[in-house]
Amino acid sequence: MRAAGLLLTMMLAAGTSGAQDYLNCHFAPGWEPSGTRRDYAANNLFEYKDGGAEGYLSFGFVRMQGITCASGADTLDIDVSEMADADSAYGIFAANVDSSLPIAKLGMGGQVERQSASFSKGKYYVELVEVAANPDKDDTPTMQAFAEKMLEHMEGRVTPPEALAWFLKQDLASVRLVPESVLGLRELRRGYVAKYKQGQAFLVQEDSPEAAAAVLKSLREKFEGAAPVNVGDEAIQATVRYLDGICIFRKGKFLGGYANMPGPRAAAEQAAELAARVP
Amino acid sequence: MTQKTSRRDFLSAGLSAGLTLPVAGAGTKMGFFNPAGTAAPETAATPVKLDYKVLGRTGLKVTTVGMGCMITSDPSVVEQALDAGINYFDTARGYQHGNNERMVGAALGAKRKQIVLSTKTEAPDKAGMQRHLEESLRELNTDYIDIWYLHGKSSADEIHDDMIEMQQLARQQGKIRFAGVSTHSGQQQLLPWMAQKGAFDVVLCAYNFAMDPGMEQAIATAAKAGLGVVAMKVMAGGIRSVRPGDPMYPKLTQPGALLAALKWVVNKPNVATTVPSMTDRDQLEENLKAMGSPLAAHDEKLLAAHLEMIRPVYCRMCGACSGACRKGLPVADMLRCLTYADGYGQFALGRERFLELAAGRTGAGCANCTGCTVECPHGVHVAERLERAQELFG
Repeated sequence: MRAAGLLLTMMLAAGTSGAQDYLNCHFAPGWEPSGTRRDYAANNLFEYKDGGAEGYLSFGFVRMQGITCASGADTLDIDVSEMADADSAYGIFAANVDSSLPIAKLGMGGQVERQSASFSKGKYYVELVEVAANPDKDDTPTMQAFAEKMLEHMEGRVTPPEALAWFLKQDLASVRLVPESVLGLRELRRGYVAKYKQGQAFLVQEDSPEAAAAVLKSLREKFEGAAPVNVGDEAIQATVRYLDGICIFRKGKFLGGYANMPGPRAAAEQAAELAARVP
Repeated sequence: MTQKTSRRDFLSAGLSAGLTLPVAGAGTKMGFFNPAGTAAPETAATPVKLDYKVLGRTGLKVTTVGMGCMITSDPSVVEQALDAGINYFDTARGYQHGNNERMVGAALGAKRKQIVLSTKTEAPDKAGMQRHLEESLRELNTDYIDIWYLHGKSSADEIHDDMIEMQQLARQQGKIRFAGVSTHSGQQQLLPWMAQKGAFDVVLCAYNFAMDPGMEQAIATAAKAGLGVVAMKVMAGGIRSVRPGDPMYPKLTQPGALLAALKWVVNKPNVATTVPSMTDRDQLEENLKAMGSPLAAHDEKLLAAHLEMIRPVYCRMCGACSGACRKGLPVADMLRCLTYADGYGQFALGRERFLELAAGRTGAGCANCTGCTVECPHGVHVAERLERAQELFG
């Protein structure tokens, strides 16, 4: 009975301690809070991310909360951006990763460097940036410690968006969420783009098969000389300036395909493999 | 030694030296270019009339419509802009942690020396700036930056002597050609200071039809001192955030509405070029039409309608209403909550913030109050908006 009461007290304490428990300078030894807590919304983010706010807004930014910690002369800024959903949080993380470094298993994905780290979990995108008196200092353990502790206090999905697994793995260089105009085409509003050694693949989800069919129809009208090809439920292939050999298919409510291939046939062959992986 | 990366294969190759940038005399010149070129056009394109101005004391001749690459994700859009004749491209070290510079560098490829390329550093000190410069040069595949901006400065206090020294040093080393500052806020004080300081060649500032008229004077002061003026945020940010379903959407997205906003800036005599963000090729083709095209009566009508639409609701958070309500309502805070809900579609956040405001401070019913004492200098219908906030969140 007493244990149950204690448990209840602990649960209540956890519940009332606020959703920002993940903002804590004591997650690594020797760090103390410095200054006031930051809190920004979409309409005033530019006050903090002056010159870079639009990059956040394009990924469905909702709110940013942050703290600064200090350890001697070193400071560490921790900023947590709440995005519209987990896909957007992963999207902004993927847009900002250093493609020369591996993605670590931190939440949905993360990267830890000597004086910085970033990761995403659920609808949260987290950035840690240290300004050390010694710019060559290797503070990777501190970054790792903060990231791991923050993840413990953060709710949300820890797996990357499902669609990423559908892209072919061979010669894959990078995958990212493009928040608007996939391949520079307004019709493909938002989706994932995978870069390969040769060419790039994409996946866009529409609201319904009918909506996806309408987009495909408009692209067929846009691309002079586009011809139908047997991929997915329906598809077109063409040679398009700037996008070279391209094939776009529809499968259910998904649009996908390949661009920047040597010719439309090569694009269609790759697209067929991708279409087979789309459920 | 820098490396050249092509968009398609990112293979490394040498880059030849030599500056081929057009350096103009005075005045404006126009030319014609067919953006579709000859190879496999997907649609027939109309030839675009290019319009150039001189970028202040730099002497660089730039197209009046440049390209802001910050949210451009596909290099094909940059390539098409290049082929269309746009010759000013802007990025920053901090955009997507350098990934944007890499994309821009790859897309520009061998044409890099034919255009004016600017990037920015937000490093707070000389050593950081030095690192950023080397990284920018590497990612952009170039030996030099045409214009290197100190990124996002809001006041003279944020621009330290060692930053200016670093810009000068980089210039002596041939790594940059011209020094600049980018700014989004505090501009009406910062621009005259820059004009007087004499240490900079270019200013990149937010400027659009929705801004305070005082900004025009600040820009005139800068231009008179020889600073090249590049305008950003030319579309007045809110347009981008309006989504289908929003009552403002049909009007703000009607044909020509965005183009009118761009034309307004392009036609300002003291602005040399503009850097509208472009994410797709339709947007690019639309923006190109702003060149050599005067602001017509129907454009002004569109802008006036837009201004009229946002004026009663758009709080600029200037603080002029602070303490003005006789019932003690925190006017600006309440309006901000409403902006979350109405402006950004974030009702939950708006309500959460509203409820966080001190209990009892937001409840004084505006509907029953005669003669509101709050007058917004920017024309926001304060009483109506507060009433709406109380109805929506109360």
